[in-house]
Amino acid sequence: MASAAADTRCRCETLGVSAEAAAILLAFAMRESETPAVELGSALERLGQGLRPAAAPAAEALSRELAACVRALQFHDRLMQQLAVIRNLLTRLADHPLPQMAGFGAQRWEELLAALRERLAAGSHDELFELLVRTGGVGGAGGGGAAQAEGSSELF
Amino acid sequence: MARILAVDDSPSMRQLVKLALSSGGHQVDLATDGVEALQVAEKQQFDVVITDVNMPNMDGISLVRELRRRTNYRFTPLLMLTTESTVERKQEGREAGATGWLVKPFDPDRLLSIVTKVLA
Repeated sequence: MASAAADTRCRCETLGVSAEAAAILLAFAMRESETPAVELGSALERLGQGLRPAAAPAAEALSRELAACVRALQFHDRLMQQLAVIRNLLTRLADHPLPQMAGFGAQRWEELLAALRERLAAGSHDELFELLVRTGGVGGAGGGGAAQAEGSSELF
Repeated sequence: MARILAVDDSPSMRQLVKLALSSGGHQVDLATDGVEALQVAEKQQFDVVITDVNMPNMDGISLVRELRRRTNYRFTPLLMLTTESTVERKQEGREAGATGWLVKPFDPDRLLSIVTKVLA
């Protein structure tokens, strides 16, 4: 009995260390990709400035390509935001190791999810958590709603 | 040509907003969060402010609320540009005094046309 408890505690500590290591790796990777993304943005800006005095129709075609770049590059920003949320979640896991839970059967998975849900109940974290664990991935009902809102605008 | 203040904590997003609006002939100034935006907005008058919602130090909704308290920004178009799209958050923005709510990723031409519309 005491040995099982020690084993579980050890597993929780390992999980905490792994979560912390993952959070640090994520933070490094995010920082590393920021400069190239900014450089790409600057290059696009220079291209845009170079285009302005140019004559149509070549300039029009290039403007369209530039607009496509602007749309596409925004997904880097979104990725950074999602990674930041994951990094924060990992940090919280590292700070607060999960309760004693042995095994990885279906019941344990449910218990693990319940424990995580309880810890990560705050607003956007909860939303992300639901998105991550939803069977069928992000293309499900909830994800579809968010995808439909993308690029939308509303004047009050 | 309008003078626009774009506020976002992401360097690449600031660049992209500037790129999109500059292509329409607008002059774009940048700020990294609500606190910096307030400082910049107090030094000079902008025709439009476009702000992200989630930012450190001061979020976009608080920024809008603060700007609306100033007489010179009472009628200035203030647009939110964010990944958030829930009805609750939009309502918060509306109550704070935002003029409109745009969900990222934005289309450069669409952003330009909205700016033109709110300036009209």
